[in-house]
Amino acid sequence: MSIGPSADSPARFRLLASAIAGRSVDVAAAGADAPAWTDGATIFIDTTRHADEQIRSLAVQASLLEGGSLDAALLAPLARRPSLARRYLSIEGHRALAGRHGLLPLSVRSVVDDAIAGRSDSPAASLAIAMSAAELGDPPAIFGMIRPRQVLSSASACRPADDGVPARHAPRTEPAVPPAVLDDEEEGALEGADLFSSPVGGGGGIGRLLKNLFTDSRSPGSGPPGAGSPTRTSRRATRVAPSHAVSTAVARIPEGTPAFAPRRFTYPEWDGIRGRYRPAWCTVTESVPRPEDAAPLPVPDTLPLRRSLGRLGTELERRHRQLQGDDVDIDAAVEARVEALAGSAPDEGVYLDNLRRRRDLSVLVLLDVSGSAGLPGAMGVPVHEHQRSAAAALSMALFELGDRVALYAFRSQGRSAVHLVPVKRFADQMDASVLQRLGGFAPGAYTRLGAAIRHGAAVLEGDGGTARRLLVVLSDGLAYDHGYESAYGEADARRALAEARRHGIGCLCLSIGAGADAAALRRVFGTAAHASIARGEHLPAVVGALFRSALRSAELRRRSWQRRARTKERLVVERSTA
Amino acid sequence: MTQGARPYYVPVGKEEQVFKAAYRQGLSILLKGPTGCGKTRFVEAMAYDLDRPLVTVACHDDLTTADLVGRFLLQGGDTTWVDGPLTRAVRDGAICYLDEIVEARQDTTVVLHPLADHRRQMPIDRLGVTLDAAPGFGLVVSYNPGYQSVLKDLKDSTRQRMVAIELDFPPSELEEKVVAHEAGVDHGTAVQLVRLGQAIRQLETAGLREVASTRVLVAAGRLVGEGLTIRDAARAAVAGPLTDDPLITAGLFEMIDAYME
Repeated sequence: MSIGPSADSPARFRLLASAIAGRSVDVAAAGADAPAWTDGATIFIDTTRHADEQIRSLAVQASLLEGGSLDAALLAPLARRPSLARRYLSIEGHRALAGRHGLLPLSVRSVVDDAIAGRSDSPAASLAIAMSAAELGDPPAIFGMIRPRQVLSSASACRPADDGVPARHAPRTEPAVPPAVLDDEEEGALEGADLFSSPVGGGGGIGRLLKNLFTDSRSPGSGPPGAGSPTRTSRRATRVAPSHAVSTAVARIPEGTPAFAPRRFTYPEWDGIRGRYRPAWCTVTESVPRPEDAAPLPVPDTLPLRRSLGRLGTELERRHRQLQGDDVDIDAAVEARVEALAGSAPDEGVYLDNLRRRRDLSVLVLLDVSGSAGLPGAMGVPVHEHQRSAAAALSMALFELGDRVALYAFRSQGRSAVHLVPVKRFADQMDASVLQRLGGFAPGAYTRLGAAIRHGAAVLEGDGGTARRLLVVLSDGLAYDHGYESAYGEADARRALAEARRHGIGCLCLSIGAGADAAALRRVFGTAAHASIARGEHLPAVVGALFRSALRSAELRRRSWQRRARTKERLVVERSTA
Repeated sequence: MTQGARPYYVPVGKEEQVFKAAYRQGLSILLKGPTGCGKTRFVEAMAYDLDRPLVTVACHDDLTTADLVGRFLLQGGDTTWVDGPLTRAVRDGAICYLDEIVEARQDTTVVLHPLADHRRQMPIDRLGVTLDAAPGFGLVVSYNPGYQSVLKDLKDSTRQRMVAIELDFPPSELEEKVVAHEAGVDHGTAVQLVRLGQAIRQLETAGLREVASTRVLVAAGRLVGEGLTIRDAARAAVAGPLTDDPLITAGLFEMIDAYME
């Protein structure tokens, strides 16, 4: 392997540690001659020792994690009593290892002292023995030590193993509510079910990856580095990519609008406290993107994104003159016969086939350029820059796939000055000027998310021109505006999303490189439609599933609305004829 | 057909009784289980026991109704009807096994409905005929609940026409026996391979979409049988197929080194 952890980096043991711990843990160097320990998310081992000893130390700490030995309730009494912690480790280490016996490498199994392990059958029992006056030797050096306070303070403290049969294959969970049920449910149930169900199955690889990503984007335990990068490439995507066709659907572009006049729109706002709309409350100004002198963003590498988005939003299309297919293409067959009789080589493609080739997706990307995005995020790079390049990569990838894409930036200063800057409208070409406009944004002002979503949905509705529509919000958190505080703002944004979804627009939100604020966004969008990732490179791993689930839930909602509308119509007709 | 030895399958639970009972009652069978856990082998063994020919169709996402039922082909100036595998099984009274059914397009699986329920008929609209399934016809579909994408799921209308049998990787003693038998290696090697497989199955967080199946363990064992060292065999047959990511590959290699003596 040319890339990857270097031969002696502790990170190479990450998978081994995760396997024994039964969940994702990181491995880092503890420093020379330091005992091994863990904070619940990372295991620190002395890398100067022999590899065998490193593995043994690692197995002990990983088993402690797996065995629930480091539960907060157990560790609390140990916090200020290092000698008790040592006594606890000397018995609990053996017990935890023995509990993992079937999964340990042979070299580690020799460490387990069955006599000691047999004295305790649970972490609590071990603690009781450690607190009693019973004679207990010091733990072997390779056991390392327990650092209760570090574990307690770590956000991702140990959870007890909940998996009774650890070695069995865990099937990904089914979608929470089967579509057939959803169809017939009332609106309220629909929203509840869709917003909070996981898009990718909680038990699955991606599901857990997402869960890891959600916890804390900067904690070392947020999934192993590399978990976010695609480990498999889809055969289908690569096959589709070269043969894409640009959407044929034509958008209704407002003709005669002077290109440089700012356009104003008013939208209502939901007052969650009073439980009613405030009509014509927000004024959205579509301001003109200033020709910036700023350096354009570098052209993003869209290949991984194209791979994960390639199969999205495609529709069946009947193709003529195929080499194989369901039916005989009569015209082609007759021609071929005539040609054969006339003595020339006939064309062999004489079948009709249904191929999933027609792109049928329009996406509007809303980029948050409010002041909060200027804060430094992952690796010291401002969140804003992460988001900008993600916006560029997403819109570029979708454009190259032949989808209809628009990219708007938004910020606000009070309800009368919500600014949406069209970086790229649906009708615009995806060219260098888009990247330049994008490069020119400096973060500033506030976020009035609800108004931005309403305007985005209106633009999608008007100009999207396809049956499948997606609204993608790139934001670092639910920042506030004047008179748009947390609970009120959340309620309005949720309302705006419900309005958009009702019209069959899939909505989702991505937070890139952002920290704590993403929690509010998750509440607004629902866990199924929000992903928080540390770096733009992780984007391809999450967007496929997110986009799919957003499209699907929007589709379901639209259908159930249509059905209800039809039912209403029928009732009206029946009543009038009766 | 069903000559030769019985395909090697060791039952884990009551799956053989359920299968045979459902088959005799003319019920269709849905097999669920992760890839490489022995679904196909199980069907082969059952077809052998029941002495029926087996028609296997590997479903893919461009599989159309015509691929299953049949189509007209041009031969010279004429069209000829060619039966699809499903039609052949219906005519011959064979067991038709549709592998990874969810991969097929949803409009395709609807063709199974009249066959899978009490009617046991197959209308072929292109020919304008309705075939009654010959005695002995059995429909078996399989799918892997973990593998499908979020968009793909079996229609409920299809599901409810089936009897479900859930398969999983066998428990370790059984899996050791299977690996030893299938790969022709000694018990010690099989134990090590199975232990590695079990450890990798703990790793669903690591960005692996699928885990080490019994099949890859058998493949590794067969390489050992050819004279490779167990580490090389595991690297080639277990780590390699599971991932392309260099980081994860390196981690898997490290696991192999730790587990293989």
